[in-house]
Amino acid sequence: MPIKDILLDWRLHLTVLVITVIAELIGVIAVPIGIGSILLLPLLYAFVLGLLINPNVISAARVLIRDREVHAASPLIVVAIMPFIAKFGTIIGPSMDKIIDAGPALVLQELGNLGTIVLAFPVAVLVLRMGRESIGACFSVAREPNIAIIADKYGLKSQEGAGVMGVYVIGTLFGTFIFAILASILATTGAFSVEALAMACGIGSGSMMAACSGALVHAVPDMEEQILALAGASNVLTYATGLYLCVFVALPLTEKLYDLLGRKEPSKTGA
Amino acid sequence: MSDIQSQTLDPTEEAKLGLGAHAAALAVVCVIALVGNTVATENTVPQGLVGLIILWVMCMIGMLLTKFVPFKLPSVAWISAVGILATMPWTPGSAWILDKVSHVNFLTLATPCLAYAGIAIAKREIEIAKTSGWKIAVVAVLVMTGTYVGSAIVAQAFL
Repeated sequence: MPIKDILLDWRLHLTVLVITVIAELIGVIAVPIGIGSILLLPLLYAFVLGLLINPNVISAARVLIRDREVHAASPLIVVAIMPFIAKFGTIIGPSMDKIIDAGPALVLQELGNLGTIVLAFPVAVLVLRMGRESIGACFSVAREPNIAIIADKYGLKSQEGAGVMGVYVIGTLFGTFIFAILASILATTGAFSVEALAMACGIGSGSMMAACSGALVHAVPDMEEQILALAGASNVLTYATGLYLCVFVALPLTEKLYDLLGRKEPSKTGA
Repeated sequence: MSDIQSQTLDPTEEAKLGLGAHAAALAVVCVIALVGNTVATENTVPQGLVGLIILWVMCMIGMLLTKFVPFKLPSVAWISAVGILATMPWTPGSAWILDKVSHVNFLTLATPCLAYAGIAIAKREIEIAKTSGWKIAVVAVLVMTGTYVGSAIVAQAFL
């Protein structure tokens, strides 16, 4: 896309500017629920407002945003997260000593990402009786690098491909909400230490980490620096190691489990 | 349905923007972030501007590294590495950089990104969500809960 086109897409950028201002003016809202409280953050409102003026969601929005803008918005997601990632780096740098102290826990918690298999796979296969799409759906948290693995091994048109794309789309639509809610509930219940919850925010997606660590910071404002440093470091680590964990551990393990528990691919249907 | 997935929806494909286009798009994003930062925090426009210029430079260095370093890492990994190295206590000038970027609120920086993400949701993604149905939605929620709680449990055990 030529530079001129990006700058001339003023309709898109102006809309994002207006959404940003509205979202920031609303500010953080805490909704108390029984076991904790759910924190609603400006970035979540921004996403919802974006959806509400998306012509694919609300067709009346077509007067403001056309398919051209929808198409142009896609590459800007990655660009827009970059300053945020750089800022996160500047939070990690000065806290290097704390991160080194947390070293073993930080590295080992990457293994916790296998929790996707532990929790989701049995439900998908045994309760929901899903077929091979459960392999693609459950082996990882289905962000871009994970899709690449499945695309490479099975192709995106396969059942496994349908599984990973399904979770990717749901994650894209609701992931920020789910992680913000998980983090704020678990932080207010006190079942885990804040450091552990911060490290778990390193999911391998900038926007999900933003929602997750943002919710944690608002729940425990005194520990802001530590939370952000640990979440950021864990996220970088997930970018670096996540691919290998998936290729060498998570995917082979999921396949073995499917052979064990899954319905046998029938040559005739039924049973 | 099948061609929906094969060609039109491949999120692994890197956005085809050149370095110049990236620099321009980043500048636009930083202007939006500057307005957001001014609305959301007590920081003044000049304070936010200097902080964002520094972050913009970090992003550009990170993108140059992504382009020219032979082994492949996503650009966000390089950008955070630049941010980390620039602010380590023993890096010369790190105190100055830290002071300048401290006037930019980290959460406000994520707000424009999510606005773009909401606008970018395409018809095919809504179709996939509909056709995959409620089962995949249930599984997706469990997948996300699983990775979060799983990581938290392991981290808790080794802290």
